[in-house]
Amino acid sequence: MSEHDEDVIERVVSELRRPVQIDPAVDTRVMEEIARLPVRRGHGGLRAARVAWRWLARPRAISLSPLAGLGIAAVFAALVLALSGRWPGPPSAPPGERATREFQFVVVEPHAARVSLVGDFNDWDAARTPMRRMQGGSVWSAVVPLRPGRYRYAFLVDGRRWLADPTAPAARDDEFGTPSSVVTVGSS
Amino acid sequence: MGIDKVETSDADLVRRVLDGDTRAYAGLVARYRDRLGRYAMHMLGNREDAEEALQDAFVRGYRSLARCYEPERFGAWLYGILVNRCRTTGARATRRGRLFVRDEGALNGFAHPSGAERTEWEDAVHRALARLAPEYREAFLLKHVEDLEYETMARLTGAGVSALKMRVKRAREQLQVILREAERV
Repeated sequence: MSEHDEDVIERVVSELRRPVQIDPAVDTRVMEEIARLPVRRGHGGLRAARVAWRWLARPRAISLSPLAGLGIAAVFAALVLALSGRWPGPPSAPPGERATREFQFVVVEPHAARVSLVGDFNDWDAARTPMRRMQGGSVWSAVVPLRPGRYRYAFLVDGRRWLADPTAPAARDDEFGTPSSVVTVGSS
Repeated sequence: MGIDKVETSDADLVRRVLDGDTRAYAGLVARYRDRLGRYAMHMLGNREDAEEALQDAFVRGYRSLARCYEPERFGAWLYGILVNRCRTTGARATRRGRLFVRDEGALNGFAHPSGAERTEWEDAVHRALARLAPEYREAFLLKHVEDLEYETMARLTGAGVSALKMRVKRAREQLQVILREAERV
C-alpha cells in the first residue's frame, strides 16, 4: 500500500471522527418511553425475602443409606424430566389458556459458590432467583412459575460467569453480549 | 478559584437505576447520546433512521439493564445493542429502498470546526462510506473511527477476529479506490 493510500485513509478517519450533534430531544423521547414501562423494582425490598430464602436453603446434614441415596436420585431425575416436559406424564398444572406452569431449571456446577437463574421472567435480576444446591452436590436447581410464552434465560455463576443452558436451544436473537438459552412454554 | 466538577460514574448511575431511580438513566443517555449517535449516523447515513436506532438502543438498554454485569463498562455494553439496532434498521431501510439516502439534515449534523461549508472532500468521504457493504462499513467504523480492539469488535458483532480483519482491509481498499475515482472526476 502506497504512502498516498495511507494518507487517504487517515484523512477519511479524521473526517469521520468529527463530533456529531444529535438532537437532545432524543433524551426526552427515551425518558418518555421508559416512563411508560412497568416500574422497575428496587433491590432493597427483596432483603427480607432473601433472608428467608437463605434460611430455607441453608445446608443441613442428612444421613442416608446408599440405597436411599439412589432412590432419591431416581426420583429427582424423574421430576426434572416431567417438569421440563421431556417425559410424557401428567401436566404440572391444569390446562388453561394462560395457566402458569412450574418449570424446574437445573445446571451442574460442582465448583460454584452460588448460582442464579436470570431471564426474561425475572428482568435478568440475579438477586431474584437464586438457585439451590441439591443435596450439597454439583447440581443446582430453581423452580419458576411461567405463563405460556417464549423466554430467554441463562445461569449466572458466582455473580460473574455467564452460562447458557447446555441442554436447551441457544437464543439466536440475543444482543446483550452474553450467551443465553430459550425455553418455550406451551399453553396446555 | 475553580470549581471541580465530579462526574458520577457510569457504574453509580446504573446502580441507581437498578435501585428504582429511573431519572438517573437520563444521565447515561445524555452522556452517550452524541458518541453513539455518530456511529449510527455514519452507519445508516440518515438522521431519522439513526435517531430511531439510537432511541431504540437506549430503551432496550434500560429494559435489560440488569444484564449489564459490568456497570463500569456500560458504554461498551450499550454499543453492542446499538450495533445490533443499526443492523436491523439498516436491513429495514434496504427493504424500503432508502438505504443511505443522505439528506441535508443528516449532513448538517456533523459539526464543522470552522463553521465553513462542507467541502467536496467531505461529501466524497460520506458518499464513499455509503457505497461500502454494511458489514465492511460496520467493521471500518468500529476499528478506525471508534478505535475498538478486534476482540471487542468480535464480542459486539458476533464475527470472528480474522473475518473482521478481512472486512476492515477490504473496506480500506474499497474506500481508496472510490476516493481515487472521485479525485479524477
